[in-house]
Amino acid sequence: MKLAATLEDVQPASSTCLRCSWCSYGTWPENLPLCPIYWQEPSFTFSGGGYLFLAMALLENRIEFDQSVADYVFSCAGCLACDTKCAVIRSHKSHLHIMDAIRLLRSEAVKKGFVPEGNARKIYEEVKKTGDYGQTVKLQLPEKISSDKADTVVFAECSHTPAQKGISEATVRLLEKIGSPVSQFAEKGCCGSTLYDFGFWEQLEPLAKANWEKMKALKDKNFVFVNPHCQEFIIKRYPEIIPDYSPIDNQHISQVLADAFKQGKLKNKKSGKVKVSYHDPCYLGRGLKIYDAPRDVLASLDGIELVEMGRNRENSFCCGARTLGNYVPGLAEDTAKERMNEFEATGADLLITACPYCKDSFQKVLPAKDKERVKDLTELVDERT
Amino acid sequence: MAIKTITDEKEAACQELKKAIGARKVRNDEVTLVTHGRINHGFDPSMPYQKPSMVVFPETREDVVETLRIANKYKISVNPIGTAQMGIPSAEGDIILDQRRRDKIIEINTDSGYAILEPGVTHDQLTSILRGTKYKCEVGTMTGSATVLAGGLGRGSKSFSNRHLSSILDLEVVLPDGTIFNTGSTMYPGVGPHMRYVGYPDLAGLYPGAMGMLGVITKFAVKLHPVNEVSKVHIAGFSNFADAVDYVKDIVDHNIPEHSIIWNWHMYQTWPLDSEGIETVMPEILKMDILKPPEGTPYSMVTSFLSGYEEQVEFYENLCAKIALKYNGRAYPQEEVEERWPQTMAGLKQQYEDYSYREGTHWARGRWSGFVVFAEPKDIKEVEKITAKEFSELGPKARPINNYAHPFDYGRSFLFRYAGFPETDDTETRMKIAKKTKEICAEALQRYRAVPIRGVGESDGEKIYLDVLGRIKKALDPNNILNRAAGAGFFKEEK
Repeated sequence: MKLAATLEDVQPASSTCLRCSWCSYGTWPENLPLCPIYWQEPSFTFSGGGYLFLAMALLENRIEFDQSVADYVFSCAGCLACDTKCAVIRSHKSHLHIMDAIRLLRSEAVKKGFVPEGNARKIYEEVKKTGDYGQTVKLQLPEKISSDKADTVVFAECSHTPAQKGISEATVRLLEKIGSPVSQFAEKGCCGSTLYDFGFWEQLEPLAKANWEKMKALKDKNFVFVNPHCQEFIIKRYPEIIPDYSPIDNQHISQVLADAFKQGKLKNKKSGKVKVSYHDPCYLGRGLKIYDAPRDVLASLDGIELVEMGRNRENSFCCGARTLGNYVPGLAEDTAKERMNEFEATGADLLITACPYCKDSFQKVLPAKDKERVKDLTELVDERT
Repeated sequence: MAIKTITDEKEAACQELKKAIGARKVRNDEVTLVTHGRINHGFDPSMPYQKPSMVVFPETREDVVETLRIANKYKISVNPIGTAQMGIPSAEGDIILDQRRRDKIIEINTDSGYAILEPGVTHDQLTSILRGTKYKCEVGTMTGSATVLAGGLGRGSKSFSNRHLSSILDLEVVLPDGTIFNTGSTMYPGVGPHMRYVGYPDLAGLYPGAMGMLGVITKFAVKLHPVNEVSKVHIAGFSNFADAVDYVKDIVDHNIPEHSIIWNWHMYQTWPLDSEGIETVMPEILKMDILKPPEGTPYSMVTSFLSGYEEQVEFYENLCAKIALKYNGRAYPQEEVEERWPQTMAGLKQQYEDYSYREGTHWARGRWSGFVVFAEPKDIKEVEKITAKEFSELGPKARPINNYAHPFDYGRSFLFRYAGFPETDDTETRMKIAKKTKEICAEALQRYRAVPIRGVGESDGEKIYLDVLGRIKKALDPNNILNRAAGAGFFKEEK
């Protein structure tokens, strides 16, 4: 979606909506609930279609844009389930997607200064103050693999999640074990994905352009991403935002690890048997369609038994991390708890994910003694190789 | 002294209802209200926006009873809805009673062959639970997420339904005064819904097409049909619609298929297309005049669902092939259809082999604009002729990809549906189609005795019928609080 999109651009999608709430649950025959907000409050309003109809109500001046509207539009978890499921709107390539409309509504909210209290407000304040959300991070790449001439570039994301530190460190150790030369790309603050998702579009464009200016010198290299949100945003949205964008080769770290196991570059060390379940992060799964690589990695680890949760792959249930609105009280935590309950039902010892937001979100709802039961894939592999 | 306004009354009703059934089930926040300003599918600026006063999500039958009691007290109209509905009128300030949270499958009876459901159960839920039971339900052409009740109480197209018009067996209904009654055999305590017509006049018959204006349905039973040893789709092609009708009448008269549909060529080639097909295949087909299919493409394709023991189905297949020749057509082996129209075959397999219908992309192709009538076999042929000609003249913008017919009640009556899916923002073409179909409907009724699926209210016969309906409504709903907008045609409120 171009950043110039307006509420008028939502109309074709909303005209196509059947008001059927097909967007809210997973594939037949399981039909399991997918949309966190709909799961909590089953109603057309809290389905993907509800957001489309709200955009139309605003366009027709049926409702004032106020704080409660902002709370509503920031309450969506942004999990992409609606766009993955609704074949009706997707049938029209020219239509805005549901998530596009939600992001557009958020940008309207930000423009008008209506931002929910809590994390959204924190991001808002920082973006207003600095024009950015994030910080340039430098990975401590060991000398033996660090090479500016390397064909592989690790994208160092702008660490604003508590989980990121551990994941970055594990990633560096794994790259060292693999042994191939790598260089790193330190983004200029945020790559734009957080700004994009939460409506800070004014600040987004210059940031994305500045990043691309730096990236394009490396565009013949293979970029490796750890945070699927950054990867999804750069691969899928930069082409829409940046006029001189040209496609870059890219891999998620899970794919790099899967290849390394196949090539014998990563070796198992003696470890005990562990039963794990894997949570498909929304942007790695539904966003980038990377479902197999993390599972291949788990299958390559000695002593690991993977037990799938009922909702997996494109039918994965969100962790709730990106729910920033307060329209449905406690939604973010309840979403994470629901997923943890599903994990517990598998009888697995560890919950493995591949996104720092998911790890944070799950750890937040666990008592201190259980927090170590949630790990990033990189951390698990690092421990066992 | 302060004057009580309508808004005060509605607010008072809302507060009372929240207290009675729980605040979580009653929403009157602005976001909820404006997103229910248009309750039929597809945001359509040309349709009136009617902001409700509250939206209620009952979770039990008692919640429905309480809602009606309070609505009756405050004289606020209640509009019960499911998901993916079309053609349901509403009025400003209505209470929208959204029954989606009442989605329990109460019983699947595989002895008699019925399912007892709450009104929020969707086709996806029902078709899913029926897997492995050796029973199937009738599925409509809307997405699988559409509620069964909405389809069940309509008279539109459903698969596996040649042999009867209504899939409904029994209903449980709540009236505004709190009365709860059951129709059919379930009026007797402990008896299942195996027989709709017992003892007394059939009250369930009041409800198809009533759109909630005669009571709120809180439980219902639909027919299930056995999945036999072998199930197959037989396909036959014909160079004209009339031959296809004769063929269908013949096979239905001989008790051969469970179900048949006559698809005209625009429809069978575009109906199951995926999103890529919509961009590539459909525009090419729409360039062609609907009256002139390309050489070798049958104008009408008949799909017949055959089921039974293996030998029986094989015998039926041979019979169908033989009967097709009798009417100048021929059987099309599945392999041939698969090769020539792969997406058509994929769609048929989903509907007839999974016994489900989940891909609603058909409905995404624009905004439906057209008409549905019922007529006797010889008349339906004439209706098709005039309609195809008129749609041909409307040109490709009308996108006449929704045209098919199928028999009901063993072929006594044929449903005929002809519609276009003009682009959602192409209001001009939509209005043209609406005007044209109104004219076609009138001609079809006058010259070919084809009755519309929705009443027009113009003939004397209809007026008397509506008068009687009005009297029934008055008896059941004296305060006119059950979908006031739907009853506007025949319920005259006393001044």
